[in-house]
Amino acid sequence: MENQLRNAIRKLLEEKTVDVAIGYGRVGVGGAVGAVFVTDPNEVDRLVWNAECRQNLAVHLSRPEVKALGKPAIVVKGCDARAVVVLANEGQIDRENVVVVGVVCEGIQGADASGVATGTLLDKCVACVEHAAQNVDILIGDAAKAAELDAANAPNAKTAGKQAKLAALMSKTPEERFQYWRDEFSRCVRCHACRQSCPLCYCNRCVADKNRPTRIDTSATLKGNFAWNILRAFHLAGRCVGCGACSAACPAGIDLDLLNLTLANAADEQFGYVAGKELGAAPLIGTYAENDKEEFIR
Amino acid sequence: MSQVVTLEQLKKLAADKLSAGARVVAPVVDGGLVSFKEISDAAQATFAPQVRVQNSIKEFFFPKHEVIFTFVRKGNDVEIVDAPDFEDDQIILGVRPCDAAALPILDPLFGWDYQDRFFQQRRAKTTVVTFACKETDAHCFCAAVDGGPDNPAGSDAMLFDLGDGSFEVRTFTDKGAALFAGIATESDKTGAACAPPTCDFDVEKVAVWITENFASPEWEKLSLRCVGCGACAYVCPTCHCFDIVDEGTYSKGQRVKNWDACQAGMFTLHASGHNPRSTQGKRQRQRLTHKFSIYPGKFGPYLCTGCGNCSRSCGASFGVRPALEALNADVVQKQED
Repeated sequence: MENQLRNAIRKLLEEKTVDVAIGYGRVGVGGAVGAVFVTDPNEVDRLVWNAECRQNLAVHLSRPEVKALGKPAIVVKGCDARAVVVLANEGQIDRENVVVVGVVCEGIQGADASGVATGTLLDKCVACVEHAAQNVDILIGDAAKAAELDAANAPNAKTAGKQAKLAALMSKTPEERFQYWRDEFSRCVRCHACRQSCPLCYCNRCVADKNRPTRIDTSATLKGNFAWNILRAFHLAGRCVGCGACSAACPAGIDLDLLNLTLANAADEQFGYVAGKELGAAPLIGTYAENDKEEFIR
Repeated sequence: MSQVVTLEQLKKLAADKLSAGARVVAPVVDGGLVSFKEISDAAQATFAPQVRVQNSIKEFFFPKHEVIFTFVRKGNDVEIVDAPDFEDDQIILGVRPCDAAALPILDPLFGWDYQDRFFQQRRAKTTVVTFACKETDAHCFCAAVDGGPDNPAGSDAMLFDLGDGSFEVRTFTDKGAALFAGIATESDKTGAACAPPTCDFDVEKVAVWITENFASPEWEKLSLRCVGCGACAYVCPTCHCFDIVDEGTYSKGQRVKNWDACQAGMFTLHASGHNPRSTQGKRQRQRLTHKFSIYPGKFGPYLCTGCGNCSRSCGASFGVRPALEALNADVVQKQED
């Protein structure tokens, strides 16, 4: 698969279909995987594909430093591919000007505190039903195998993995849940790594950075931390694709995607809306239909 | 002869200090996460050397959020009340040597022109007890920046795990000696730290390149994968930038000091809209130049203890060690060849 990926990217660069390929490479400590930006077709061997390709590279599509490199090709997993779709649906990228190279992903492994792969799948991958990235221009890997894996997970998709973790939290009393978030947010340092790592947090000036006047406290107090983390979750309602980049980036180890998953579930249950599933779909929060449910408004 | 304490004595020491009204900070294990926290019960703490802790002890000297003063408007006057002095005894147990080593590096910064009473009072009232390291991981590079797994810098006392439920105690300051006086017993056992971490780059050579190559295009290339999340700065024992903000209403509020980071675009955004550090390359250049050129130029030591917290926390597999390795391979070695 890695060779198939490298060959596809080499061709795109050689034929000048794209100027830069955003992919994964072994760039970190001890060969840890991170983003590489390949512009020379002779350097495609820097690209890798494996179960340690954790990051959602779609975050780079909105960065001015990356845009300056020209037309990109981007390597995406199933979850990441939906972020590219949301970016296109929200007018942030011209889909015609990006070559999306999807991979068949059999699941990403977690890492220990030193970044070493644990051999255990991430929660979000346990019941994944998008092993093959959708809405892509090129698919690398065995689509038939991906379909088999999807079918095997389908019965548990809404109950296992991350959903099970959320269900366990939701089964607690509101007071217990509040205490859980108090404990978690007490560690938040307000670095905003969650925002910076999120492909869909692309605002030029985030509300957290507004200071004339200040909209939410920049202080890492419980008040400021609740305000920030809940506000961010709401801004991702109907938009978050559940890639888990925020949780992975959080230096304080806060499981932020539990908040986002709650709202993604609400979007699905109330409006049958799954963010990034369909290219061209109108944004959930930006549209109104006469038959929209209203009974949840109390 | 050496001085030895048992694990039980350490727990009792923490409990006694808590009953005496001191603040006690120690590593607390919660799931897969190890955090330095203020404890209320000695049983919450873990007494074993830790390599990977999610936070630095810097927050117990330089908190992530600190009130400088409060204000109340009274008619045409404003009443300002300064934040109280830090008067509690504080003991931090189980610190990594590379985390403690940041404290003497930061002392001149907080006492150079402006005497920062917040930092200085905490320093004076705190006793730091480190564990000599028993293991390193691939992120560690203390030995490359004048440190080591038993580096005493910043420690009042250091404990060496003897593997039998006891620890050799070495004290380096009066505070350290006072903490263990009457507790430690004489023994013929001595402990040792693990071997220092290895690294195949010469920090001094990279530091020279950093100093001499402000305008190099290498910075943008090096930093392309950095998304500017700033987690590196928040977990770093030596990063010390902060923002001063007024919070509250027209009639009352407070002026506070909050952590900030040079990796955020907002950090240097001018009111005019101009940003002198407009790209991530410029922001990473600032971070590395501050650590390996500006700070040593002004105060002597590198602003880095080689703890590896930055690269462990980096979602993009970046951080100081990967940056130094890349600069060494891509520019320093090529210059020498």
